[in-house]
Amino acid sequence: MNEFKSAKEEYLDTPIPAELSDRVRAGIRQGRENRRKARRAALRRSIGTLAACFAVLVGTLNLSPTVAAAAADVPVLGGLFQVLTVRHYEKTEDGVNYQVTVPEVEGGGTLADRVNDAIQEKVDAHLEKARQDWEEYRDAFFATGGTEEEWGGREMDVIADYEVKSQTDTRVSFVVTLAEGWVSSLEERYYYNLDLAEDRSLTLRDLLGDNWVETCNAAVEAYIADQTDKDGFSYFFAPEEGGFTTVDENTTFYIREDGVVVVAFPRYSIAAGAAGIVEIPVV
Amino acid sequence: MSVIREEQLTAFLVEEQARFYRLAYSYLKNREEALDAVQAAVCRALEKQDSLREPSAMRAWFYHILVNECTDQLRRRKRVAFVSPDTLDAGSYEDPLPPDGTLAQRVDALPAEVGTIIKLRFYEELSLREISAVTGLNLSTVKTRLYTGLKKLRISLEGANIE
Repeated sequence: MNEFKSAKEEYLDTPIPAELSDRVRAGIRQGRENRRKARRAALRRSIGTLAACFAVLVGTLNLSPTVAAAAADVPVLGGLFQVLTVRHYEKTEDGVNYQVTVPEVEGGGTLADRVNDAIQEKVDAHLEKARQDWEEYRDAFFATGGTEEEWGGREMDVIADYEVKSQTDTRVSFVVTLAEGWVSSLEERYYYNLDLAEDRSLTLRDLLGDNWVETCNAAVEAYIADQTDKDGFSYFFAPEEGGFTTVDENTTFYIREDGVVVVAFPRYSIAAGAAGIVEIPVV
Repeated sequence: MSVIREEQLTAFLVEEQARFYRLAYSYLKNREEALDAVQAAVCRALEKQDSLREPSAMRAWFYHILVNECTDQLRRRKRVAFVSPDTLDAGSYEDPLPPDGTLAQRVDALPAEVGTIIKLRFYEELSLREISAVTGLNLSTVKTRLYTGLKKLRISLEGANIE
């Protein structure tokens, strides 16, 4: 509608105050803090019971095959306990909140060791980089005339976490997430799909057969088409603008609980940032 | 994994902040109040992030919070009506629909429940379904209000891309 074109232009001309981004950041900080407080209070109420459950479970597991078999049906602790948390800590140091949970795979083979080393290496590098980013930011802040008072209680969150997507007795699929959140946000995900019986990483070809490229591409294209609304608006970039063209050996994926393969594209890789990490089931 | 959704949410809030401000300003017509509204809505979004089930609905979900924040502020303002005459510009006493104003001014002069829908549809380019999610009105009410608004603005509906 043409009449609205000029009205919209007038609307878009609204001057944006320079302090807007500070106010948005303040809102984010404030909201995050409020939520954290609310959750901590809730967590404190439940954590005692939870810890007690775990202690009992781990204790009995070593004794009774029946209990071990029963525990295998518990989703998080499923399979043969192949993915276990080895390191979990939360601490605040120099204005950095670390929330680190690092998984370890147990399978006996060399693959498990390789994966564990790779995870550990990535996590360590990530924590170190986050610490440096934060230091640089703080130095720049004071170097450009910022005062202690203005700095206030600025904090950054550094997160390492994992999620087991699915697992069977011989196969496990999990994601390790490394994130750093302060002024901007940064997030990396690493996907691991392991065949512990054969001691190797699974590929899309293993799971989808020789036509895996065509199969994946069809699923992704259908998904993108489905996400385009009536006005032709879509978060996805057109192929000629650097959008999706094809999957390849480097395409990341995981295996869902029901066995469906889900391909995952990092933020900005095929769609606008607001779409986040795009996950598309291949069905 | 809620941590990750939070990253996605904050990235969205930071990236799209100018749009939020414009929308808030179009309601409140006051720089400080618009800034307050955006900050409060952002804070609220972080607090209530668990109520966002579908990340794809993030935009509609946040606009809902923002629009509520703006209408709350307007309501509060009505209750405390300390407005000295010289802070009002001349336009404020005039006919709420100045016939010779620009379309944007006439949109601003519409009653809030109609103006919101016009702004969301034509400035923010939300679909009617999204507007229905933002406002909590059902789809046919949204349509009716949109037509009412257009009629008041004396815009011909011929060839209008309402959907």
